[in-house]
Amino acid sequence: MVDWLQVLFNSCVTGSLYLIAAVGLTLTYGLSKFPNFAHAEFMTLGAYVGYFIAEQLGLGMPLAFLFAFLVTGIVGFLFYRGIFQPLAKRGASIIHLMVASIALGFILRHSIGAACDWNPLYFTATWPAFDVGSVRVTGLWLQLIFTALALSLAMHFLLMNTKIGKAIRATSSNPELALASGINVDRVIWIIWFVGAGLAAVAGIFRGADTQVWPMTGWDMILPVFAVTILGGIGNFYGAIAAAFIIGLAENIGVVALIGLGLSTTYRIGIAFVILIITLIVKPQGLAMLFRRG
Amino acid sequence: MGPLIYSCDIIVYIGIFGIVCLSLNLEYGFAGLANFGKVAFFLTGAYTYALLSQIGLPFYLCLIASALISAIFGLLVSLPALRLRADYLAIAVLAFGEILRLIMKSEKWLAGGDWGMAVSPIFPYMGSYLLYRLENIGLVFLCLFLCFLVVQLLTNSPYGRAMRAIREDEVAAEALGKDRSRFKAQAFMLGSAMAGLAGGLYAQYLQYVLPGMFMPMVTFTVWIMVLLGGPANNWGVLLGATLVEIFDRGTNIVKDYIALPVDPSNLQYILFGALIIFVLLFRPRGLLKESAIRTKALRLAHNARRAVKNKGSQ
Repeated sequence: MVDWLQVLFNSCVTGSLYLIAAVGLTLTYGLSKFPNFAHAEFMTLGAYVGYFIAEQLGLGMPLAFLFAFLVTGIVGFLFYRGIFQPLAKRGASIIHLMVASIALGFILRHSIGAACDWNPLYFTATWPAFDVGSVRVTGLWLQLIFTALALSLAMHFLLMNTKIGKAIRATSSNPELALASGINVDRVIWIIWFVGAGLAAVAGIFRGADTQVWPMTGWDMILPVFAVTILGGIGNFYGAIAAAFIIGLAENIGVVALIGLGLSTTYRIGIAFVILIITLIVKPQGLAMLFRRG
Repeated sequence: MGPLIYSCDIIVYIGIFGIVCLSLNLEYGFAGLANFGKVAFFLTGAYTYALLSQIGLPFYLCLIASALISAIFGLLVSLPALRLRADYLAIAVLAFGEILRLIMKSEKWLAGGDWGMAVSPIFPYMGSYLLYRLENIGLVFLCLFLCFLVVQLLTNSPYGRAMRAIREDEVAAEALGKDRSRFKAQAFMLGSAMAGLAGGLYAQYLQYVLPGMFMPMVTFTVWIMVLLGGPANNWGVLLGATLVEIFDRGTNIVKDYIALPVDPSNLQYILFGALIIFVLLFRPRGLLKESAIRTKALRLAHNARRAVKNKGSQ
């Protein structure tokens, strides 16, 4: 017997994780017009920085999140400023930018592998677990959902009510016009790369605390994150929220279905792939139609 | 391993990856398709070879089947994917490769799951590792030569020129009556077939297949070879394959003699990444520039111009 309430709750947890991870990807994709495959390694880096702060130095989770956000954000900014921006200025095609992002991802992943070894690490922090009705809940999952909610509200406020948010939306929809209106387009893009990479780091810590920390932490998650980005419509934050929960739901129902069919649950990641392909074939602009204001 | 056997080993690898490079060159260099899932078709070829040779089919049929099945996979993927923009295509095909590897990993009944399966070699071991490698060099370079011939003739033909036109400007090519999705699908299919052939050769040379051999890094290595050597130049990509393979093995040898502070396998990936970024920043067209088109008409026109010039100087 399947407990559907539990499935629903798990979907919220998965969706929250994917949302935090995908925000940076979708916004940088929308602004810089290429998919940054190194986004996976931002998550990995964040997970390692978080692990180092929380476990090695014993400074606790809040500081771990803060430092992971800052360190990864700076790395994200440096990647853009040091590699992608010069490449784009020299007229590199989108294919060249994608190859460069994969290359940077490899450099980062294997630098981490060289520095910290490839054996998985585990957070020792324990989270209170309790039952609400028939639903199993842990403190970590609640924190995750809370973070995603807070992020959604904060991003909504930022995009709609602040000057920088307006500049982001303007740059995203028409960079030339934004530049002509006196918006410092470069600075907008830098801020987004910083924040996006930082949020990826937060997602990385959550994922690492929930499962394990190893150099492939981010890569294990990149497929559903891309699915969220595409389903939500590239550069569309509101679309990403909806897409994250749709994919969370699809994955969790899919796992139930896979078990029912007697198939391996490693196919879980294939569900996101199927959604990705169907979106690309049927409606490549994703859910963006529903969220025009984003 | 002695140095001679080792060099022969490198030559076999250069041949196999040379074929994959030619196939990526056809897709990316000439047709402008961002195939980030090359490894998917390489894997298809390798597993097809492994499974069919187990049944007892002769090796040439297995190799042909590897190419054919990969071509069919390529066609299936290309039909929906080719209407997409370059970035969507890249994500879709990359994901396809990962899923294929996942299937091979979890379906243990099919090909041994994580542990893979043994593949019987084409040339039985005759008491000499050197001979085994020399035989393989012969076979691999025969295949490489055939693929090279096909790609070289194809890209010089009117068909290849239409392909380059589509790469440069889809809309203009379409306005001239070139069906871009058909051209792209054909390029993708042929490229996949060649990658499948290379996969079959790879499987029988190593005598085993397992999912760990088909990580996204394989695709990426081939991209480095093509971008370094020079896209849209068949000699260039072969040069790229040679250089990258020697670099790859070179670092492997160096690590035996020099104690490095970093784990050499990690270092290799880091160096590869740095190399490709360096190429993209400072030499985006690769070492050799795009090969010029050679046709009879162009040669006649060239001769005629020279003849006129000579006349003028008399």
